[in-house]
Amino acid sequence: MTRQITQLGAFALEQLAYLGRMGLFLIHSVRGIARPPGKFGPVVKQIQFIGTRSFVIIGFTAAFSGMVLALQGYYTLSKFGSEGLVGSAVALSLIRELGPVLSALMVTGRAGSAMCAEIGIMRIEEQIDAIECMAIDPKAYLVTPRLLAGLIALPLLTAYCNVVGIFGGYLVGVELLGVSAGSFFDGMETSVVWEDVRMGIVKSFVFALLMIWICTYKGYYTGVDRGSFGAEEVSRATTSAVVLASISILVSDYVVTSIML
Amino acid sequence: MLTPSIIEIRGLDSYYRGRRVLDGIRFEIPGNQVTVIMGVSGCGKTTLLRHLVGLKPTERGRVFVDGEDLGGFGEQKLQAYRSRIGVLFQSGALFNSLTVAENIGVPLKVHTRLPEETIRIMALIKLNMVGLAKFGDFMPSQLSGGMRKRAGLARALAMDPEILFVDEPSSGLDPITAAGLDRLIVELRETLGMTIVVVTHELESAFHIADQIVVMDEGRVIAAGAPEEIRAADDPRVRQFLSRETDLRPPDLDDYLSIILARNR
Repeated sequence: MTRQITQLGAFALEQLAYLGRMGLFLIHSVRGIARPPGKFGPVVKQIQFIGTRSFVIIGFTAAFSGMVLALQGYYTLSKFGSEGLVGSAVALSLIRELGPVLSALMVTGRAGSAMCAEIGIMRIEEQIDAIECMAIDPKAYLVTPRLLAGLIALPLLTAYCNVVGIFGGYLVGVELLGVSAGSFFDGMETSVVWEDVRMGIVKSFVFALLMIWICTYKGYYTGVDRGSFGAEEVSRATTSAVVLASISILVSDYVVTSIML
Repeated sequence: MLTPSIIEIRGLDSYYRGRRVLDGIRFEIPGNQVTVIMGVSGCGKTTLLRHLVGLKPTERGRVFVDGEDLGGFGEQKLQAYRSRIGVLFQSGALFNSLTVAENIGVPLKVHTRLPEETIRIMALIKLNMVGLAKFGDFMPSQLSGGMRKRAGLARALAMDPEILFVDEPSSGLDPITAAGLDRLIVELRETLGMTIVVVTHELESAFHIADQIVVMDEGRVIAAGAPEEIRAADDPRVRQFLSRETDLRPPDLDDYLSIILARNR
């Protein structure tokens, strides 16, 4: 019995220490904004990596999500004779919910995993140690630019995702199923209000913060806890980063929605 | 003759996952000399190096740099100390996403306000010192192991450090490239008066470059002195190491068991 309590206590302390280290990691990364090196060049480079290179994949995802939303919306709404509201249904679903979530999940899969693997390789190849030994703050050098770039790129990608998704919905709703373009856009204009857009923007910032925080943290501490610095540690870190970031995005989606509704 | 000590180690212990890896390490590193820390793999020499460069926290009162306690350094003091040192890691630790010249320019870019062009020229000067002037625009992945190490050395020298730490300069290199790196280390000491600390298990290289040799075994210093003193040492472990004899001691079963059990815990 005593042994079980001891083990439970040790586990709880371990988790507490883990959370504390994660919290400090974020604080140090934010503090890195005011520390050398300069951030402009690295942030632009990361925006290109996180943002520009995610354009195609998010475009595809958004277009087909908008299309399927229109198809499902049309099928459901036609039961009540309200096919004209399909535009509102597509726009509201995308702006409030699917746009931020899909963009964040896609960016996690594409850029978050790569970010974690890149930093993880730097850890196992002693490059992070080398940065420290050059009297450079490794978090300011590696994490801060990615954090800033994520906070800039993801909300923009979300807006782009919404626009492409609505266009996909238009193609199916108006061009394929014959809903009039007037009622498609008119319904959208009256039903989408600033609060909906605001919710989408807040979510995209929250998701960007979580995704970059988790992916860079997992990469930064690759192999440190296990004391082993082999290639398999990088794959382990990347997998757990993507899983944890995706779950955090979905959980925080519910939390933000419930707070803002 | 040895010059005054720049680093003093006074009874340094170190633990890794509850296991003692350094046991009362005690010696001094004189200024403007090459000190070689030597020993078999796993004897704790790299751990010692990590303490000396501040990558592993050091207990107060154990390591002194110019008389100041390294264990008591706050963030700012540690950064100030690190801007006085250069470290060449075993793998070179070059950043894969940057060219060789950009790699060497990293510390200059962060710590100085020099224009890009000047930084590039300075990086090329450092590359020239290690014989890689023509490879500035190459990516690290395009270089051989020895070239990567030399480029890593150029980066360690970028800020003209007072103390240079080198981890296993010859490991994984052919004898000619290894000899080239050894010559470079000696030249740095002779021309720039740098204090150099080298961790290695290569006997030939150690005796070629060292002004002082520290021999470690199982986390302890078993001999320290000038190369000729080490050659004349009568400690059986030192003799065994120098004559490259295999380990004929029977394994300590208690030790072995405790290691296995600690790993599975």
